[in-house]
Amino acid sequence: MKENTKNTLRKIGMKLLLLIAVLAVLDVLYYYTYYPKDLKEQCSLINLSQKPALEGGDIIYLGESSNHSFCEADSDQRYICMMLDDLLPDHKVCNLAKDACHAGVFYDIMWNIPQESAVKTAVVTVNMRSFSSEWINSDLETALQKEQVLMKQAPALYKRLLLAFKGYTHWTEEERGHKVRKDLKRQRFNIPDFPYHNASEWDRALGKSGMLFDGTYPSWDTIALACHYIKDFAYQLDDKNPRIKDFDRIVKLCQERGWKLVFNILADNMDQIEALVGPELPQLMKQNNQYIMDRYQSQGVTVIDNYNVVRDADFFERDFPTEHYTQTGRLTIARNIAEAIR
Amino acid sequence: MLFNSIEFLIFFPIVTLLFYLLPHKFRWLLLLAASCFFYMWFIPKYILILLITILIDYTAGLLIFKWKDSPSKKRTCLIVSIISTCAVLFIFKYLNFCSANLVALAQHFGWSHPQQVLNIALPIGLSFHTFQSLSYVIEVYRGHQKAERHFGYYALYVMFYPQLVTGPIERPQNLLTQLHREKKLQYDNIANGLRLILFGLFLKMVVADNLGAYVDQIYEDPHAFSSADILLGMIFYSFQIYGDFFGYSSIALGCALAMGFTLIDNFKTPYLSDSIQEFWRRWHISLSTWFRDYLYIPLGGNRVSIPRWALNTLIVFTVCGIWHGANWTFMIWGFAYGVLLCLERPLRSIHIFDKISSKSGKSILKGLNILKTFIIVTFLWSIFRAPSFDSLHQLYSALYHNFTQPMQLQISTIVWVALILFILLDILIRQSRFDQWCSQKTGLVRWSIYALMIFAIIVFSSVQQYPFIYFQF
Repeated sequence: MKENTKNTLRKIGMKLLLLIAVLAVLDVLYYYTYYPKDLKEQCSLINLSQKPALEGGDIIYLGESSNHSFCEADSDQRYICMMLDDLLPDHKVCNLAKDACHAGVFYDIMWNIPQESAVKTAVVTVNMRSFSSEWINSDLETALQKEQVLMKQAPALYKRLLLAFKGYTHWTEEERGHKVRKDLKRQRFNIPDFPYHNASEWDRALGKSGMLFDGTYPSWDTIALACHYIKDFAYQLDDKNPRIKDFDRIVKLCQERGWKLVFNILADNMDQIEALVGPELPQLMKQNNQYIMDRYQSQGVTVIDNYNVVRDADFFERDFPTEHYTQTGRLTIARNIAEAIR
Repeated sequence: MLFNSIEFLIFFPIVTLLFYLLPHKFRWLLLLAASCFFYMWFIPKYILILLITILIDYTAGLLIFKWKDSPSKKRTCLIVSIISTCAVLFIFKYLNFCSANLVALAQHFGWSHPQQVLNIALPIGLSFHTFQSLSYVIEVYRGHQKAERHFGYYALYVMFYPQLVTGPIERPQNLLTQLHREKKLQYDNIANGLRLILFGLFLKMVVADNLGAYVDQIYEDPHAFSSADILLGMIFYSFQIYGDFFGYSSIALGCALAMGFTLIDNFKTPYLSDSIQEFWRRWHISLSTWFRDYLYIPLGGNRVSIPRWALNTLIVFTVCGIWHGANWTFMIWGFAYGVLLCLERPLRSIHIFDKISSKSGKSILKGLNILKTFIIVTFLWSIFRAPSFDSLHQLYSALYHNFTQPMQLQISTIVWVALILFILLDILIRQSRFDQWCSQKTGLVRWSIYALMIFAIIVFSSVQQYPFIYFQF
């Protein structure tokens, strides 16, 4: 190597070291000045993590909109966690639910709960839809991913850099659609003698078969709903699913913290699914449900199987698959959780 | 790939490092592959469109050079090349606009005309690389540049990643020649390149994006704001677009310089211009010189009668407007500049400067002229920024009617500080460039500036995603 090049490299090396030192100083400066403000403004999830320490509570309830969605006609508009709190008078339930959250977000919230909190039990919602590609790649994910950046276990300045340079998943609509379509084709079903091998084939067949005209479906809206059910639930769960990896991390974290862990598998509208799509989808869903039960019960987790406990009349949203229950549905779920905790 | 993305922060050092590690004969291949990767990060299939343009003008260059002694064949080849290259631009950028206007015209006369819609997003930077490609063919035709026989080098000239998407629009004499020359690792190039990148990121992420948040609010619903808010929003937009585009150009220059390539400076303190003519000598220099050399001068330039000169000016600036986008607002924006330049010429002949003897009087007059030019430019930016004439009407109507309303915009201190710093820096570097200005400072001052800028970029940048404004062109 020529002397000139050596000198240049030496100079660059020195400047890089100086840059690292400057960054270290800036990190400290940021941590004590703007970081708390950023956490407050850009990361509502971190505020959730602080709730158990601030408000107290030995049970934390982690969930999504199923917790707090209620029907206008409900005379009892309490959230599931509030009902649970009332059903367990000896305990205090701390609500850590937020719309569209899933296991990946729950893990970050739980990890950031201060050690000095009085938490003994964590009730974690298992929404079976959250394992689907539609949810994993949903457009709500960008906002959550952005919030999760500041919750990472990394230097404060580095996390802010990731925020500034969009260092988190932020798919465009086109990319999102492409990923979902690819996933729907990739996952093959384990249903004997079933004509469709994957969700894509099934969805297309249902959408295009003209079933509307033979009287099977009353309207195109109903077909659209049936297709939504397929896209949301027709998957074969295995340990490659990113949500499974998140739930595994949650199990590990709770073991480390000594918390009792309760997985609350949410109810889906099995009556409507069977009526609209046929018996194969419930069969597939049952397989996936069993997978969760077997996997986590064997690891010492209390798994509550609410999969089929809420009837059609107690789902108040009729044109899209949700886990939004009337007061009866919410109370059923809360009772089952309370039973498992007692 | 966006310059202000985490992917680019990884991409840039890797490419620069590999560039210096590889022997010269393989560097073109690395840069071409890196440029393809950079471009395909947006929408991969669009590279095919770019390939079409490259193939057309590469072949045309060779043929023109081959027939250099046959003027008619040479001219035919040039015309075919220009038409084909512009056809690609027309199809992807202007077809939908023309079709929509034809339908509207047909409806006006009560005729039936089906609308042809091309359902495709505009390939990023199409206007930029089309112009760069055209400049090569024209220069070969004029005999100022030898035809490039190596397809890889020619493709790299069009696709060189730092300036691929938003320019500066390079000339073959500058870039193509440099691409052939072996580059040695030099500390100054790396340091100056990084300084320019840092400066560019500061302009884009701290100044432009933060101002953009306020500008967007104003243009989305002008009636919700007072006249003072709207005026402030219009001024903010002047600095937003400047910070955004100057920022991009600085990063482009910096990336190229880190590998030893020198690109054209695109800006020279345009808001310190004391006339519209001067503004266009200092704003988007690579585009204005392109129009000067390849359209204005061939039309006759200013060596023609005054009416013909005025017509030439109007044509050039209207085309410049259309170049920016397929929308009537851009066309009117360009045309308005043409009209202003036509009006400015007779006023310049009054020589008012000569009638003022005192130095301070001249300074005051210059200051007033700078202010006047800035006001005109800011006013015209509102036409440029408005998505349609309807929204422009809304803006002006709110500006006219909401005088009594109190100010609504809550501008954060950070934004004011960033804006003032930008203006100060722009004045300080008016005789040179940020990297050169910076290198004259002592180590402590230099590193304090770096630290301040790094901190501002990371901590005060907007968390919203704002693509570069000129990406749409």
